[in-house]
Amino acid sequence: MSRSFFLRNPSVLVFLLVLALFTLGVTLMSEAYGTALISTSFVKTLGKTLCLCLAALAMDLIWGYAGILSLGHMAFFALGGYMIGMWLMYARTEEIVVAALANEPLPATAQEIQNGIAGQIFGVVGASELPPVWLFAHSLPLQLMLVVVVPGVLALVFGWLAFRSRVTGVYLSILTQAMTLALALYLFQNDSGLRGNNGLSGLQNIPGLDGVSQAAVSVWFLWASAVALGLAYLTLAWVVSGKFGSVIRAIRDDEARVRFLGYLVEGYKLFVFTLTAIIAAIAGALYYPQAGIINPAELAPIASIYLAVWVAIGGRRRFRWGFTPSTGWIGGWFCWACRLWRSRCLRPRALAGCSIWCRACAGPTARGHRLAPMMAR
Amino acid sequence: MTALLEVSGISVTFDGFRAINNLSFSIGPAELRAIIGPNGAGKTTFMDIVTGKTRPDAGNVLWGERSVSLLKLSEAQIARIGVGRKFQRPTVFEDQSVTDNLIMALRAPRSPWAVLGWRARPVDMARVADLAAEVGLADALPRKAGELSHGQKQWLEIGMLLAQEPQLLLVDEPAAGMTLAEREHTTRLLVDLAKTRAVVVVEHDMEFVRRLNCKVTVLHEGAVLAEGSLDHVTRDQRVIDVYLGRSER
Repeated sequence: MSRSFFLRNPSVLVFLLVLALFTLGVTLMSEAYGTALISTSFVKTLGKTLCLCLAALAMDLIWGYAGILSLGHMAFFALGGYMIGMWLMYARTEEIVVAALANEPLPATAQEIQNGIAGQIFGVVGASELPPVWLFAHSLPLQLMLVVVVPGVLALVFGWLAFRSRVTGVYLSILTQAMTLALALYLFQNDSGLRGNNGLSGLQNIPGLDGVSQAAVSVWFLWASAVALGLAYLTLAWVVSGKFGSVIRAIRDDEARVRFLGYLVEGYKLFVFTLTAIIAAIAGALYYPQAGIINPAELAPIASIYLAVWVAIGGRRRFRWGFTPSTGWIGGWFCWACRLWRSRCLRPRALAGCSIWCRACAGPTARGHRLAPMMAR
Repeated sequence: MTALLEVSGISVTFDGFRAINNLSFSIGPAELRAIIGPNGAGKTTFMDIVTGKTRPDAGNVLWGERSVSLLKLSEAQIARIGVGRKFQRPTVFEDQSVTDNLIMALRAPRSPWAVLGWRARPVDMARVADLAAEVGLADALPRKAGELSHGQKQWLEIGMLLAQEPQLLLVDEPAAGMTLAEREHTTRLLVDLAKTRAVVVVEHDMEFVRRLNCKVTVLHEGAVLAEGSLDHVTRDQRVIDVYLGRSER
């Protein structure tokens, strides 16, 4: 990445600067490292917003640039969350089980600890054995690898089958919806091995960090989310600034013509689909420890439709001029506003985009709840 | 002289309609050829078959000295092997600059990984500038392709074809919608191109074909009706019947 890249794309620097200032500002106003102007739960909301921006960035690449309207990317997002959640839950439960067994007259064997963990985690779905998918859950590095590998392989296989048959346009969108729905329905089953509709919970408690307050952990995750967003933005801006960006935009506009130029269109689509699935998975892996809980409802088709709506409202391909702020940021804010609106007022989610955003920001319930510490000053 | 492209006995049927009927055709390595024929004669279908867009029901399409069968290759592979195609309607990527359009077409590795790491070297930019000058778009390099006039888009597309460095160019109605001056420019381009490679021009316009001054193949109902110089084929009674007979009806 040469200097000329930044000269040609000054907006990248602007974005990184704004992101850095934002992160610094939140840190300085947080309960753990600053003036406590912003509550810990609001820091988490902001951190989650950054993760959603990251997912929106991936969506912008695949939809805005490559023209593939995937309505299944939140499946990869949630899968990333599940993968990290398995380790969080396992390691956390292990600590509890080891502590409980420490009072026994005989030291606990590895098998006893294992059984204890399995009973703790799976008692809720009436099972007492660790399912095979939890094989690597004891190891953070392996589970982190799975964050990338599982959604990546799913995207690769799904994408290969879909693109090879030249499924395009609305038919592809429907296929991706079917994929995320099928996955959600599968995970809803108690014997899926991921606790059915209960999902994974207690993810905000990071194993090994008992002495650290949630206030500090929330800021760390905000930093991690900001770094991930910054790196992804930089990488994607570089990717689309070159010939690769030209080719995928050309595929969006006239894929038959690109074939006659000698490019294997399916290969490019598969590349972008898999890359964006991995980015979404990383975003999910950062999101759910901040959310604290994940369940199959997160993979519901509506989640991916929301993602597409945020990107549409934020403006597709804005990160070409550097205004992913509007793609990601408005997207993220919109999402936050939607969730807020829904949870506070129990409103159906049918209202159109901007009105929700305005109401949620300006409405008394919203302000009263989330922005109270800021307004108090 | 061995043929560059050897099409033998191909047939294609769409829903019972026989678009190509036992067509055979061959062209040498550096030859200009015009294909004429009334609407529905199978000119575009013929191009679709050669470029891999349509698979024939019967027959064979062989390429080059090693007689590779094009029927087994995908569109992208056929393009990479050296067959370039220009569509009737100018198809350039309107959202992108003339430079970007040409860079995409430049001969270079086409895999996603190779393209991801590709950055323009000075020699590539020089080649782009040369190509633009050759097709008369030297001043338009930074402009968006969508802003160009119809004729300029046609030239840009020809420029993109040149950038691919194909051995065979299939050109579908290059003169359609062009002004007289633009036509002359296009004629010169095509004649120049045919000195180093094979060029097949599909055209309706007899005047344009006459200017190309090359061998002509007349298609009718999916088969070759006549072949030879323009004067030769226009004297052919069957050609006269097909053309004039239809227009009088």
